[in-house]
Amino acid sequence: MFKELNPLLHSELRLAIMSILISVEEADFLYIKEKTGASAGNISVQIEKLSEAGYIRVDKGFVGKRTRTVCSLTESGAKAFAEYVEAIKSYLEVK
Amino acid sequence: MIYVFNLVYNINRFIFAVKYNQLYSTTQFNLMEDKILNEKESLELISQMIRNSQQRLKEGNGKPFLIFGYITIAISMIVYSLLTLTQSNLSHLAWFGIPVIGFVIMYLSKKNEVKYSKTYLDRIVINIWTVIGASVMFVSIAAIFVRIPVMPLLILLLGIATTLTGLTIRFKPVIFCGVFGMASCVLPYVMNGYNQVLMYAICIFVMMVIPGHILHLKSRN
Repeated sequence: MFKELNPLLHSELRLAIMSILISVEEADFLYIKEKTGASAGNISVQIEKLSEAGYIRVDKGFVGKRTRTVCSLTESGAKAFAEYVEAIKSYLEVK
Repeated sequence: MIYVFNLVYNINRFIFAVKYNQLYSTTQFNLMEDKILNEKESLELISQMIRNSQQRLKEGNGKPFLIFGYITIAISMIVYSLLTLTQSNLSHLAWFGIPVIGFVIMYLSKKNEVKYSKTYLDRIVINIWTVIGASVMFVSIAAIFVRIPVMPLLILLLGIATTLTGLTIRFKPVIFCGVFGMASCVLPYVMNGYNQVLMYAICIFVMMVIPGHILHLKSRN
Protein backbone atom coordinates (compact mmCIF):
# COMPACT_ATOMS: atom_id res chain seq x y z
CA MET A 1 0.00 0.00 0.00
CA PHE A 2 1.27 3.47 -0.90
CA LYS A 3 2.12 5.86 1.88
CA GLU A 4 0.71 9.35 1.62
CA LEU A 5 3.21 12.01 0.55
CA ASN A 6 3.48 14.95 2.90
CA PRO A 7 1.85 17.83 0.91
CA LEU A 8 4.04 20.39 2.65
CA LEU A 9 7.18 18.71 1.35
CA HIS A 10 5.77 17.64 -1.99
CA SER A 11 6.41 21.02 -3.58
CA GLU A 12 9.51 21.77 -5.61
CA LEU A 13 10.98 24.71 -3.72
CA ARG A 14 10.09 23.53 -0.20
CA LEU A 15 11.60 20.14 -0.94
CA ALA A 16 14.74 21.82 -2.32
CA ILE A 17 15.10 23.92 0.86
CA MET A 18 14.62 20.86 3.08
CA SER A 19 17.16 18.87 1.01
CA ILE A 20 19.75 21.62 1.42
CA LEU A 21 19.15 21.83 5.15
CA ILE A 22 19.39 18.06 5.59
CA SER A 23 22.94 18.11 4.24
CA VAL A 24 24.22 21.18 6.11
CA GLU A 25 23.86 22.04 9.77
CA GLU A 26 22.70 25.58 9.05
CA ALA A 27 22.51 27.82 6.00
CA ASP A 28 21.72 31.46 5.50
CA PHE A 29 19.12 32.87 3.18
CA LEU A 30 21.62 33.91 0.47
CA TYR A 31 23.13 30.42 0.42
CA ILE A 32 19.69 28.86 -0.10
CA LYS A 33 18.93 31.45 -2.79
CA GLU A 34 22.18 30.64 -4.59
CA LYS A 35 21.68 26.86 -4.44
CA THR A 36 18.02 26.89 -5.50
CA GLY A 37 18.17 29.77 -7.98
CA ALA A 38 14.69 30.84 -6.85
CA SER A 39 13.57 34.41 -6.16
CA ALA A 40 14.01 35.92 -2.68
CA GLY A 41 10.27 36.53 -2.32
CA ASN A 42 9.37 32.96 -3.18
CA ILE A 43 12.00 31.55 -0.80
CA SER A 44 10.74 33.80 2.02
CA VAL A 45 7.19 32.50 1.59
CA GLN A 46 8.29 28.85 1.59
CA ILE A 47 10.62 29.32 4.56
CA GLU A 48 7.73 30.88 6.46
CA LYS A 49 5.52 27.85 5.68
CA LEU A 50 8.20 25.36 6.74
CA SER A 51 8.89 27.35 9.88
CA GLU A 52 5.20 27.50 10.79
CA ALA A 53 5.03 23.71 10.42
CA GLY A 54 7.97 23.43 12.84
CA TYR A 55 10.17 21.77 10.21
CA ILE A 56 12.88 24.43 10.22
CA ARG A 57 14.21 26.96 12.71
CA VAL A 58 14.78 30.51 11.51
CA ASP A 59 17.22 32.77 13.37
CA LYS A 60 17.52 36.40 12.41
CA GLY A 61 20.61 38.41 13.23
CA PHE A 62 22.93 41.06 11.84
CA VAL A 63 26.15 40.92 9.80
CA GLY A 64 27.50 44.45 9.94
CA LYS A 65 24.50 46.53 8.96
CA ARG A 66 22.80 43.80 6.96
CA THR A 67 20.28 41.35 8.38
CA ARG A 68 21.14 37.67 8.21
CA THR A 69 18.54 34.91 8.25
CA VAL A 70 19.97 31.55 9.20
CA CYS A 71 17.87 28.41 8.75
CA SER A 72 18.38 24.97 10.22
CA LEU A 73 16.37 21.76 10.27
CA THR A 74 14.49 20.83 13.44
CA GLU A 75 14.15 17.29 14.73
CA SER A 76 10.54 17.08 13.52
CA GLY A 77 11.69 18.43 10.14
CA ALA A 78 14.30 15.69 9.83
CA LYS A 79 11.67 13.12 10.83
CA ALA A 80 9.16 14.44 8.27
CA PHE A 81 11.85 14.39 5.60
CA ALA A 82 12.76 10.78 6.43
CA GLU A 83 9.10 9.79 6.24
CA TYR A 84 8.77 11.58 2.91
CA VAL A 85 11.75 9.66 1.50
CA GLU A 86 10.25 6.41 2.82
CA ALA A 87 6.97 7.27 1.08
CA ILE A 88 8.70 7.92 -2.26
CA LYS A 89 10.50 4.61 -1.85
CA SER A 90 7.16 2.83 -1.65
CA TYR A 91 5.96 4.61 -4.82
CA LEU A 92 9.07 3.71 -6.77
CA GLU A 93 9.17 0.21 -5.27
CA VAL A 94 12.82 0.46 -4.29
CA LYS A 95 13.91 -2.09 -1.70
CA MET B 1 23.73 14.57 14.35
CA ILE B 2 24.19 10.79 13.93
CA TYR B 3 20.50 10.61 13.04
CA VAL B 4 21.00 13.11 10.19
CA PHE B 5 24.14 11.29 8.99
CA ASN B 6 22.12 8.06 8.85
CA LEU B 7 19.34 9.80 7.01
CA VAL B 8 21.68 11.26 4.37
CA TYR B 9 23.35 7.85 4.06
CA ASN B 10 19.96 6.18 3.52
CA ILE B 11 18.97 8.77 0.93
CA ASN B 12 22.23 8.22 -0.95
CA ARG B 13 21.71 4.45 -0.81
CA PHE B 14 18.19 4.94 -2.06
CA ILE B 15 19.37 7.17 -4.91
CA PHE B 16 21.92 4.51 -5.87
CA ALA B 17 19.18 1.87 -5.89
CA VAL B 18 16.99 4.02 -8.11
CA LYS B 19 19.87 4.68 -10.51
CA TYR B 20 20.55 0.96 -10.60
CA ASN B 21 16.92 0.29 -11.52
CA GLN B 22 17.19 2.74 -14.47
CA LEU B 23 14.53 4.98 -13.01
CA TYR B 24 16.85 7.91 -12.94
CA SER B 25 17.16 10.66 -15.54
CA THR B 26 18.70 14.11 -15.51
CA THR B 27 15.98 16.70 -15.15
CA GLN B 28 16.79 20.39 -15.04
CA PHE B 29 14.74 21.98 -12.27
CA ASN B 30 13.40 25.47 -12.61
CA LEU B 31 12.72 26.46 -9.05
CA MET B 32 11.38 29.84 -10.06
CA GLU B 33 8.04 28.11 -10.61
CA ASP B 34 6.97 26.17 -7.57
CA LYS B 35 5.35 23.20 -9.26
CA ILE B 36 4.19 19.92 -7.78
CA LEU B 37 6.61 17.10 -8.52
CA ASN B 38 6.11 13.48 -9.35
CA GLU B 39 7.94 10.91 -7.19
CA LYS B 40 10.87 10.48 -9.57
CA GLU B 41 11.40 14.22 -9.87
CA SER B 42 11.24 14.58 -6.08
CA LEU B 43 14.03 12.06 -5.71
CA GLU B 44 16.16 13.76 -8.35
CA LEU B 45 15.66 17.15 -6.74
CA ILE B 46 16.68 15.78 -3.31
CA SER B 47 19.82 14.18 -4.71
CA GLN B 48 20.73 17.28 -6.72
CA MET B 49 20.39 19.60 -3.71
CA ILE B 50 22.34 17.25 -1.43
CA ARG B 51 25.09 16.94 -4.04
CA ASN B 52 25.27 20.73 -4.42
CA SER B 53 25.52 21.29 -0.66
CA GLN B 54 27.94 18.52 0.26
CA GLN B 55 31.24 20.26 -0.37
CA ARG B 56 34.26 18.93 1.43
CA LEU B 57 36.32 21.92 0.35
CA LYS B 58 34.83 25.37 0.61
CA GLU B 59 36.27 28.74 -0.23
CA GLY B 60 37.92 30.04 2.92
CA ASN B 61 38.90 26.58 4.25
CA GLY B 62 42.57 27.52 4.18
CA LYS B 63 42.03 30.89 5.88
CA PRO B 64 42.54 29.82 9.55
CA PHE B 65 45.71 27.89 8.59
CA LEU B 66 47.12 30.95 6.80
CA ILE B 67 46.13 33.47 9.48
CA PHE B 68 47.48 31.46 12.44
CA GLY B 69 50.44 30.11 10.46
CA TYR B 70 51.73 33.51 9.36
CA ILE B 71 51.05 35.11 12.76
CA THR B 72 52.97 32.31 14.51
CA ILE B 73 55.91 32.76 12.14
CA ALA B 74 55.87 36.57 12.65
CA ILE B 75 55.71 36.19 16.44
CA SER B 76 58.52 33.58 16.29
CA MET B 77 60.70 36.17 14.54
CA ILE B 78 59.80 38.77 17.17
CA VAL B 79 60.56 36.34 20.03
CA TYR B 80 63.85 35.33 18.38
CA SER B 81 64.86 38.98 17.92
CA LEU B 82 63.91 39.87 21.50
CA LEU B 83 65.79 36.85 22.89
CA THR B 84 68.96 37.63 20.97
CA LEU B 85 68.76 41.33 21.85
CA THR B 86 67.70 41.18 25.50
CA GLN B 87 68.49 37.56 26.45
CA SER B 88 65.52 37.79 28.78
CA ASN B 89 63.04 34.95 29.19
CA LEU B 90 60.29 37.56 29.41
CA SER B 91 60.55 37.70 25.60
CA HIS B 92 58.52 34.49 25.55
CA LEU B 93 55.45 36.42 26.70
CA ALA B 94 55.15 37.65 23.10
CA TRP B 95 53.84 34.16 22.19
CA PHE B 96 50.54 35.10 23.80
CA GLY B 97 50.07 37.62 20.98
CA ILE B 98 49.24 34.71 18.64
CA PRO B 99 45.72 33.95 19.97
CA VAL B 100 44.93 37.64 20.53
CA ILE B 101 45.92 38.82 17.02
CA GLY B 102 44.69 35.57 15.40
CA PHE B 103 41.18 35.73 16.83
CA VAL B 104 40.80 39.45 16.06
CA ILE B 105 41.79 38.87 12.40
CA MET B 106 39.55 35.77 12.19
CA TYR B 107 36.62 37.73 13.63
CA LEU B 108 37.13 40.62 11.20
CA SER B 109 37.46 38.31 8.20
CA LYS B 110 34.29 36.36 9.12
CA LYS B 111 32.30 39.45 10.04
CA ASN B 112 31.17 40.36 6.54
CA GLU B 113 30.98 36.84 5.15
CA VAL B 114 27.90 36.33 2.98
CA LYS B 115 26.36 33.13 1.54
CA TYR B 116 27.13 31.34 4.75
CA SER B 117 26.53 27.66 5.43
CA LYS B 118 27.86 25.36 8.10
CA THR B 119 28.12 21.67 7.37
CA TYR B 120 28.56 18.81 9.85
CA LEU B 121 32.17 18.49 8.68
CA ASP B 122 32.71 22.18 9.50
CA ARG B 123 31.50 21.51 13.04
CA ILE B 124 33.86 18.53 13.45
CA VAL B 125 36.84 20.62 12.22
CA ILE B 126 35.87 23.53 14.52
CA ASN B 127 35.64 21.10 17.48
CA ILE B 128 39.06 19.59 16.69
CA TRP B 129 40.69 23.04 16.64
CA THR B 130 38.81 24.22 19.74
CA VAL B 131 40.04 21.24 21.77
CA ILE B 132 43.60 21.38 20.42
CA GLY B 133 43.67 25.19 20.67
CA ALA B 134 42.64 24.99 24.34
CA SER B 135 45.35 22.34 24.94
CA VAL B 136 47.93 24.62 23.28
CA MET B 137 46.87 27.44 25.62
CA PHE B 138 47.07 25.17 28.72
CA VAL B 139 50.55 23.94 27.75
CA SER B 140 51.73 27.51 27.02
CA ILE B 141 50.43 28.81 30.36
CA ALA B 142 51.86 25.80 32.23
CA ALA B 143 55.26 26.48 30.63
CA ILE B 144 55.42 29.81 32.55
CA PHE B 145 55.43 27.92 35.86
CA VAL B 146 56.87 24.48 35.07
CA ARG B 147 59.86 23.57 32.96
CA ILE B 148 58.38 21.47 30.16
CA PRO B 149 59.47 20.82 26.53
CA VAL B 150 56.89 23.29 25.28
CA MET B 151 57.86 23.54 21.58
CA PRO B 152 57.78 19.79 20.81
CA LEU B 153 54.45 19.53 22.64
CA LEU B 154 52.94 22.42 20.68
CA ILE B 155 54.19 21.07 17.34
CA LEU B 156 52.80 17.64 18.21
CA LEU B 157 49.41 19.07 19.19
CA LEU B 158 49.17 21.28 16.09
CA GLY B 159 50.32 18.34 13.94
CA ILE B 160 47.54 16.19 15.38
CA ALA B 161 44.95 18.90 14.66
CA THR B 162 46.20 19.38 11.09
CA THR B 163 46.20 15.61 10.43
CA LEU B 164 42.68 15.21 11.86
CA THR B 165 41.47 18.13 9.73
CA GLY B 166 42.99 16.53 6.62
CA LEU B 167 41.37 13.18 7.44
CA THR B 168 37.99 14.82 8.08
CA ILE B 169 37.91 16.76 4.80
CA ARG B 170 39.69 13.87 3.04
CA PHE B 171 42.46 16.03 1.59
CA LYS B 172 45.85 14.34 1.32
CA PRO B 173 48.20 17.39 1.26
CA VAL B 174 46.82 18.48 4.65
CA ILE B 175 47.23 14.94 6.05
CA PHE B 176 50.86 14.76 4.86
CA CYS B 177 51.73 18.18 6.31
CA GLY B 178 50.08 17.22 9.61
CA VAL B 179 51.97 13.93 9.79
CA PHE B 180 55.19 15.81 9.02
CA GLY B 181 54.36 18.09 11.96
CA MET B 182 53.81 15.17 14.33
CA ALA B 183 57.01 13.46 13.19
CA SER B 184 59.07 16.64 13.41
CA CYS B 185 58.05 17.53 16.95
CA VAL B 186 61.58 16.90 18.26
CA LEU B 187 63.26 18.98 15.53
CA PRO B 188 63.55 22.15 17.67
CA TYR B 189 65.89 20.18 19.95
CA VAL B 190 68.25 19.54 17.03
CA MET B 191 69.09 23.25 17.21
CA ASN B 192 70.90 24.96 20.03
CA GLY B 193 69.68 27.81 22.19
CA TYR B 194 67.51 30.45 20.59
CA ASN B 195 67.74 28.79 17.16
CA GLN B 196 65.06 26.40 18.46
CA VAL B 197 62.57 29.22 17.89
CA LEU B 198 63.61 29.40 14.21
CA MET B 199 63.16 25.64 13.81
CA TYR B 200 59.72 25.97 15.41
CA ALA B 201 58.82 28.62 12.79
CA ILE B 202 59.98 26.30 9.98
CA CYS B 203 57.82 23.45 11.34
CA ILE B 204 54.81 25.78 11.50
CA PHE B 205 55.48 26.89 7.92
CA VAL B 206 55.37 23.30 6.64
CA MET B 207 52.51 22.26 8.91
CA MET B 208 50.16 25.24 8.54
CA VAL B 209 51.18 27.73 5.85
CA ILE B 210 51.80 25.20 3.04
CA PRO B 211 48.52 23.28 3.57
CA GLY B 212 46.75 26.64 4.01
CA HIS B 213 47.86 27.80 0.57
CA ILE B 214 47.07 24.44 -1.06
CA LEU B 215 43.58 24.43 0.51
CA HIS B 216 43.01 28.02 -0.51
CA LEU B 217 43.96 27.35 -4.14
CA LYS B 218 42.05 24.07 -4.33
CA SER B 219 38.86 25.45 -2.79
CA ARG B 220 38.92 28.46 -5.13
CA ASN B 221 39.12 26.14 -8.13
